[in-house]
Amino acid sequence: MGRAIPLVEKEFVSGFRQQTEWAWLIASAFFFGKVGSGLFIMSVVLDSRLGMLVGLLIVLVGKGGAHFLYLGRPWRFWRGMARPNSAWIARGIWAMSFMMAAGFLLLLLPMSSALYMPLAVFASICAFVVAVYDGFLLTSSPAIPIWNSALMPVLCMFYSFLGGTTMVLFMKHMGFMQLDEKFAAFLPTLEIGLLVANLLIVLMFLMGSINTGSAGRESFDLLVKGPYALPFFSLAIGVGLVFTLLMSVFGGAHAGAGTVALITVADLVGHFFIFFLLLKIGVFKPVLGFLKI
Amino acid sequence: MRYGMVVDLKRCVGCQACTVACKSENGNGPGIMYTKVLDQVSGEYPNVRKQFVPVLCNHCKNAPCQRVCPTGATYKREDGLVLVDHDKCMGCRACYVACPYNNRIFLKRGKTKSGYYGKEMTPYEKVKYAEHQDGIVEKCKFCAHRIDEGITETSCSQTCPADARIFGDLDDPESKVSRLIRSRGGRQPLCEDDTDPSVYYLD
Repeated sequence: MGRAIPLVEKEFVSGFRQQTEWAWLIASAFFFGKVGSGLFIMSVVLDSRLGMLVGLLIVLVGKGGAHFLYLGRPWRFWRGMARPNSAWIARGIWAMSFMMAAGFLLLLLPMSSALYMPLAVFASICAFVVAVYDGFLLTSSPAIPIWNSALMPVLCMFYSFLGGTTMVLFMKHMGFMQLDEKFAAFLPTLEIGLLVANLLIVLMFLMGSINTGSAGRESFDLLVKGPYALPFFSLAIGVGLVFTLLMSVFGGAHAGAGTVALITVADLVGHFFIFFLLLKIGVFKPVLGFLKI
Repeated sequence: MRYGMVVDLKRCVGCQACTVACKSENGNGPGIMYTKVLDQVSGEYPNVRKQFVPVLCNHCKNAPCQRVCPTGATYKREDGLVLVDHDKCMGCRACYVACPYNNRIFLKRGKTKSGYYGKEMTPYEKVKYAEHQDGIVEKCKFCAHRIDEGITETSCSQTCPADARIFGDLDDPESKVSRLIRSRGGRQPLCEDDTDPSVYYLD
């Protein structure tokens, strides 16, 4: 028996339709936004100015640049701040702007300044919003059921913390960051904990997506059985989470800078691909969903 | 007042006259269609049924595209029409992925620079394509320009030879659209998304 409702592209046929507009540039923006803000938050906690600067630059150049390249009318980007009352993109742009302003100001202030702590808290809150707002943005779209999950912002938050922790570990082992002994000893454990948490959240997200209706099921099938199954299982899960976890547990931070660099690359590859693939598998419902087919 | 449309699926013959009329009315270039008619085949041999499903922007009362638009380019008029201000749109395509009906079109760069007949545009194309901008999102306007001139009928509904598209005021209980919805049980597409679309289907 053939498929009841087909997955169609541009042809004049009713069926499930894959979204094609948000792809690698938006995935890159999400990726840089989460890694940069995660690194910034971790660096604020660990009092590392270089980490803060790198985090800010990743968000500004990576995320900002990817969005700028993606826009159909890039020089109108400032108009995107107009409606923070209802649009998550506008909230994201405001949060990113405040994060930049507060973050760079923080770098100029001495730690003894009375302004330092309130500014650090404010910049970290903005960075947190930058890390999770794309999860809320995807959730707020009713059109694509697999994105319409309460776990999406949680997934973004945990990936951001994981990216930040990995980057801190990398910078520390490359000699760019001096950390307190106590924190330095805790970081590998935190990394392993976040990897396990991310693996569980991805699993929960997938289990939940089975029950998001026929279009959600179509997306799920594309991801685990369809053309995206290979990159999903090999890159997003295999390299990004399982390999990284095994390397962290059996080699880990004690195995030297080379191993940490490998863990970092693997983690970042997985991080990019999970969000890239989640964007690619977005499927619209057929317009007349009520018709019995 | 709330303008809306009733689509009678029993009457639609799939001739695409509405598609062509819309393109002609709005001067849309190759690949740009505010409306079109989809084929829908259901059942299994020998009990197969083919149906034609005209699709267009549903001008939802609770429009997700308007909610997610960060620039305010997508706005709602008092008569229920959901429109796009071309000068405000920055081309982020949030509305594109938020529309459950997938009825928005992104005009890629160069889309308004080439016509149907090679590099040289026809005089008609030169005039009409100048009304569009590259790099923004467009969609069906329920022929707002005609309504503003006092013509309360869209180009597609006027052209339909089978009278499958009926345009009118949903708030007026005596309008043809309201009577049809009442008498034949008009259904809103994907009503589970709580968008309250202004297009009803009769089946």
